[in-house]
Amino acid sequence: MKKLRILLADDHIVMRAGLRVLLERQPNLEVVGESENGRETVELSASLKPDVVVMDVGMPVLNGIEATRTIVGQHPTTAVVILSMHSDESYVMRALKAGARAYLLKDSAAADLISAILAVSQNKAFFSPKVSRILAEDYVRVLKQKGAVDSYDLLTSREREILQLLAEGKANKEVAAALNISPYTVETHRSHILEKLNLHNPAELILYAVRKGIIS
Amino acid sequence: MIEKTSLTPVASQAQSLRRLGSRAALLAGFGALLVLMVIICIDSLHTLGAFESSNAQIRQDFLYRERTLERVRTGLYESGNILRDYILTGSDPDAQEALGTNLQSVRNETTAALNACIQSVPAGERGPFQHLAAGMERYWLAIDPIFTLGAKERAEQGKSLLRRDVLSQHAEILVITKEVSSVNDDELKESDRRIAEAFAQFRRRLLAVATTAVSLGLILAAATILYAGRLEKSIKEKYEESLQAQRELKELSKRLVNAEERERRAISRELHDEVGQSLSALLMDVENLAATSDEGSVFREGLRKIKMLAENCVNEVRNIALLLRPSMLDDLGLVAALEWQAREVSKRTGMLVETVDENVSDKLPEEHKTCVYRVVQEALNNCSKHAYAKNVRVLVRQQPGRLHLSIEDDGKGFDPNLARGLGLIGMNERVSQLGGVLKVDSDLVRGTRLQVDLPLPSASTDRGT
Repeated sequence: MKKLRILLADDHIVMRAGLRVLLERQPNLEVVGESENGRETVELSASLKPDVVVMDVGMPVLNGIEATRTIVGQHPTTAVVILSMHSDESYVMRALKAGARAYLLKDSAAADLISAILAVSQNKAFFSPKVSRILAEDYVRVLKQKGAVDSYDLLTSREREILQLLAEGKANKEVAAALNISPYTVETHRSHILEKLNLHNPAELILYAVRKGIIS
Repeated sequence: MIEKTSLTPVASQAQSLRRLGSRAALLAGFGALLVLMVIICIDSLHTLGAFESSNAQIRQDFLYRERTLERVRTGLYESGNILRDYILTGSDPDAQEALGTNLQSVRNETTAALNACIQSVPAGERGPFQHLAAGMERYWLAIDPIFTLGAKERAEQGKSLLRRDVLSQHAEILVITKEVSSVNDDELKESDRRIAEAFAQFRRRLLAVATTAVSLGLILAAATILYAGRLEKSIKEKYEESLQAQRELKELSKRLVNAEERERRAISRELHDEVGQSLSALLMDVENLAATSDEGSVFREGLRKIKMLAENCVNEVRNIALLLRPSMLDDLGLVAALEWQAREVSKRTGMLVETVDENVSDKLPEEHKTCVYRVVQEALNNCSKHAYAKNVRVLVRQQPGRLHLSIEDDGKGFDPNLARGLGLIGMNERVSQLGGVLKVDSDLVRGTRLQVDLPLPSASTDRGT
């Protein structure tokens, strides 16, 4: 099996060293490069073409989220795992919008990084359990404060199925194949789901799924 | 400037004493002027009154004497007539008796009038009148013998007696009365002259006093103008000083606010990037170490404890850093920071905070981001602490050249004119530093709406992504 090629981006040399030790213990992973700021990361991604970029958020010159946007824009096949100090939704949301597929907290990197890398390499989303938990709690709290009905209840069981598959990172075609229906039907369902849940883009859909605990 | 404002107590005391002194002098001057004027008035009225009465007295005296002289003349003519009648009448005793009585009464009246007049004349001026009285007495004595004549003698000697004694006396007295009258005239003229002289004297005195008063008035006016000018100048100076002090205070407060923000950011960054990252790296190493050790060993258990401690530390550090200054503000922009704050406040207080952003750039100028963020922070603090609001709506809208912020709550409002707490003052300070305007609408029923309008430098009007 071909090894997954990984680029480590973090302005902290100690952190990078720790991550390298962690990753190199895995036989199927290979760290191909390290960078210490956003711009360098963008340049190295272009030249090294890694499968996965493990990206810190707070980096000098260009921050991790902006770097992610550029890298994903230039090489859509490169998966980005965000490694952040922040569990707040604003970071998660912006990372997803920028095109990141996984969002991990640094304090749980050791436990989750390998799983996250494997997940994104299979085109799936991944979030630190703590992040999922915080997002889910927040969602419940807001619903309660607003006294609003959980819009999830408005979805049909077929729509829920499709929501989960989409949130896991599957394309319309894959979803259609999995459920044995036409891609056009999937697209119709998808637009219904977005409308009912008042969502506007794939990032929001993924975030919603995380909040509801549909994916983790 | 600073030296001026910090006048030593002694110097300022001396200054106030001097001011007190000149004020007292002005007051005394005006008092004197007033007294002088009152004196002029009283003196003039008094003098004029005296003139009037003495003038009237003199005229009255003159007329009285003239009347007396007239009376003497009349008496003379009457007695002459009586005598003539007496001599011409035959020997009717009744008629003669009546004439005799008549003459006696004329004599009495004339003598009485003359005596009364003499009594009224001052002793020094009695001479001519006494002379007249003596003449009259002689006249009466000259007449008397005629009444003792018999009818026959009367017819023979009467006319010659009359002509010789009586008429000569008559003429003499008339001369005397003329003299007296002329003396009386002279006296009147003398009195008039004296009055005119006294009047001239009075005029001179009035002129002198009036000149003094006018001069004093002019001096006082000049002094007052000078004093007022000095006061005006010192007030202007004070005003300038206070303006300057205000400017300095503003500058100072701006610097303070900026310094505080800078410090907070530095500490927050340091905590986050250095301490937080190091702890994360430490965690990583601990995990790596744990992976190499045997499951269930004492060593691994120790590492687990270290890991827990380090995790707590990371959380603590992160929270402190965020409270000091949220990293979102620098990493993700204003909207992200406001959303985070809204979530945090909602979580902490149970108040539902909704944020709405319209067209807000992620690349606003640093000062503007911070200003809006801190204003919202303070406002949300007020909403939960004082207004007990349930819902708060934070709206940020960017338009070409300006940034609009509004924060509305449904809590209990307040009177913005009465309650200008330090919070509002601080917000206003931040906003006005950027040339913006802060407006507070609040009433006890509808809650509070706080609005901020900030002008934006032209470079940052495009919406960043």
